[in-house]
Amino acid sequence: MTQSPRAVLWGQIAEHASRHDRGVSVASVCAVAVASEGVSGAWVTAASGQTPDVIMYVTDPVAEQLAELQLTLGEGPGQDAQASAAPVLVADLEAGEPSRRWPAFTPGARQVGVGAVFAFPLTIGAIRAGEMGLYRDSPGPLTPKQFGECLILADAATVFLLDDAGGSVTRGYNGVNGRALDLWPPDLARHRAQIDQATGMLTVQLGVTAGEAYVRLRAYAYARDQRLADVARDIVARRLRLEPDPAPDGEP
Amino acid sequence: MDSQLLSDTFVDLADTMVADFDIIDFLHMLTDRSVRLLAASAAGVVLADPRGELRIAAASSEAAELIELFQIQNDQGPCLDCFRTGQPVTAADLSGPGQPWPEFAAAAVQAGFRTVEALPMRLRGQVIGALNLFRTESALFEPADLRVGQALADVATIGLLQERNLRRSETIAEQLQAALNSRIIIEQAKGKLAERYDLAMDQAFTLLRDHARETNQRLTETARNLVDDTSADFPLKPGK
Repeated sequence: MTQSPRAVLWGQIAEHASRHDRGVSVASVCAVAVASEGVSGAWVTAASGQTPDVIMYVTDPVAEQLAELQLTLGEGPGQDAQASAAPVLVADLEAGEPSRRWPAFTPGARQVGVGAVFAFPLTIGAIRAGEMGLYRDSPGPLTPKQFGECLILADAATVFLLDDAGGSVTRGYNGVNGRALDLWPPDLARHRAQIDQATGMLTVQLGVTAGEAYVRLRAYAYARDQRLADVARDIVARRLRLEPDPAPDGEP
Repeated sequence: MDSQLLSDTFVDLADTMVADFDIIDFLHMLTDRSVRLLAASAAGVVLADPRGELRIAAASSEAAELIELFQIQNDQGPCLDCFRTGQPVTAADLSGPGQPWPEFAAAAVQAGFRTVEALPMRLRGQVIGALNLFRTESALFEPADLRVGQALADVATIGLLQERNLRRSETIAEQLQAALNSRIIIEQAKGKLAERYDLAMDQAFTLLRDHARETNQRLTETARNLVDDTSADFPLKPGK
């Protein structure tokens, strides 16, 4: 039986992380995008609420320039992707539409030799974690297969950003022993609704944002070696409640 | 068939497409009206996710949601065949012998369904999903009803794909991602409401939808505001 695209990509992320002797992170996601999806470079920025987004990782100087251009100018495919919660695919920066849509970003990007930009929102419903940007030095669209795989990579980057921001116990995991794989596919796609409902329930139980609730849900499953879908099902069935964190110094 | 309801449905679907359009609200209307118009017991809509899976976008009941999920998880059933071939697929007499999808048939019967009709959602040769009709009795849908069902599916497909701003020439793939994300936002909001007021998930959805209509907001925006709101004062309360 052939592996699902998700399993293959997670395997590549884990393999890259272990080769560089570190835990899985957005750095590995960007590296896999460049190695597997026919793009020249990649970047990930994290949304930080009121303050401007933060650049978390770039694969090369051009990627860094593109990420900085967007943040400096306040316009670009990345901003639009985050606003619409949908990918923004710019197969040809020389075409007329990009210049009209982003009059400052487009010439800046062309100046550093970029032909195509693909921006993916790092989003789980109402949770906004940031943006994954990809560029190619030549124009041309992503193939449907590449597009689907980039969505899977964006899913991975979303989880890593949330885990990092939450200081989660899952932070120490790495994919080498397969734990990362357990926490993600195929549960997420196939038990989607209950995981999302449980996330919403936890915002009330724990008094936290949706992003934190999602991290706590994953951390609970990870710590107990349970499937995310099973934990979510128990929460939705009201067989399980999570308790708010005790105060950090142990005081009540 | 209730011809008044039929004409109202097309007017409502067209209305939704002109005014403030919310894709999940729209697909829920589609499943609700399909049930009432076509003598179905339940209905569901599945959409293609470019990640290589089908995803449930709307279902008229928990039982319909479960049986859609069963097909996706087990990679078997009339809705999957419909999606793959782009052709309508009929599953009749599910409790009888010689089932083409034996595991699906058993699960459907257990969920209370004996007949399933899957209608493709197609645009310009691309299949983007399927509208699935379920019946508790073992009786085929009337051909006239199926023609109306296919027309509803076609209108929904056009509505789905024109939802977003077309002058930005977004591709179908980009638009579908926004629709799938809307569904996630609504599930998160349902969970929050269900926990806050001790409601079942379908009650939470009704509360959310009624609030959106009363305040003239899009369903997804209402849901997003609710999930984003971290104040203790809940913006939404069940029945007065």
